[in-house]
Amino acid sequence: MALDLSMPVLVVDDYKTMIRIIKNLLKQLGFEDVDDAADGTEALAKMQDRRYGLVISDWNMEPMTGYELLKQVRASDSLSKTPFIMVTAESKTENVIAAKKAGVNNYIVKPFNAATLKTKIDAVFDS
Amino acid sequence: MNRCLLQKIIRSSAVKRDLPIATSGVNMAQSEQKALQTNIEQIVEYLEHNKSHDVSLTDIMSLAEVMADSLDAHVEAIDQHAYSEFTAIAAEITCMKQEIAALCPTDMRNNSIPDAGRELDAVVDATENATNTIMGAAEEIMCADPSNHDDYAALVNDKIIEIFEACSFQDITGQRISKVVRTLSLIDQRVSSFIERLKVQDLEEPTAQEESEEERRRRELILHGPQHSGEGVNQDDVDQMLQDIEFDSVGDQEEKKSDQSEIDNLFA
Repeated sequence: MALDLSMPVLVVDDYKTMIRIIKNLLKQLGFEDVDDAADGTEALAKMQDRRYGLVISDWNMEPMTGYELLKQVRASDSLSKTPFIMVTAESKTENVIAAKKAGVNNYIVKPFNAATLKTKIDAVFDS
Repeated sequence: MNRCLLQKIIRSSAVKRDLPIATSGVNMAQSEQKALQTNIEQIVEYLEHNKSHDVSLTDIMSLAEVMADSLDAHVEAIDQHAYSEFTAIAAEITCMKQEIAALCPTDMRNNSIPDAGRELDAVVDATENATNTIMGAAEEIMCADPSNHDDYAALVNDKIIEIFEACSFQDITGQRISKVVRTLSLIDQRVSSFIERLKVQDLEEPTAQEESEEERRRRELILHGPQHSGEGVNQDDVDQMLQDIEFDSVGDQEEKKSDQSEIDNLFA
């Protein structure tokens, strides 16, 4: 899968500041079309309306967490192939294992930097 | 046993009724109880042996009176003992109320805890405002046109000063958090003192409490929140795990998650 900087990217986080940080980092990396959602429910609704090339999601959100969003995305015929990166402060081993089992493409532990974000995005599209 | 013996038993019981009542506790009450039991046994024996003979109404009334009166001493002894116990319990309750009052719970509920909450809210607001100011400045620098060198340099200089100013939030939030820490220390001190005075000990096996809806959600959705430094896994560990663990074996690994040594081996 090739990395296309013009593809729409969906950032999902309940903290506006974190959305702003990730969107700015993505713009610095060259992504032009970055959309956002405040939780899993909103993200899922947006994904039904538009085909995103990448989803970058937090874990701990209400009412629908990033983990639930990931499972719903993977369970959906039309969305199951969407690359999904979890960006979260949840850093317990069982979280990483659960995310991988649910089909996450990569996992970034907060706090993170631009280089880590770029490396993980590249890794997802290189694999 | 004949009628004379019955009269003797009645007289004996009557004398016992005049004995000083147990005033100092259970031992005296027990001796009274023993004497009563002996009397009753003798009366029962007398009545059994004289089933065929006539028993006068006076005798029956006398026996009933003796039995009823014999119970007085026993009941009074119980009353005395119960009174002592209730007095001791009342004293304990009074003492406990004084200990609770020493915690100043009203002050904690009305002042200390709400104040700490307000301080933390102010910290959240201050950090959010500072972050927005810093990010706004950075975004303006990012979007600025560098073709005009002088204008660009002036803009960057102004925005850098804005960033420095915004960073001063750390001083104020530090002071606010110190106030919260002081409040928590005070509460900890008072509660510890209370526990020590009442000599409260933890249950060896705490009683299982029903899991709340929120706790169930957090467990099922694996919501632990941020870990402290040295806890949880870092990015390198995550990368290693994603690389090492085969998808097919992920289920097995999860089954073993309660065994920390197995998990630790993943990072060795």
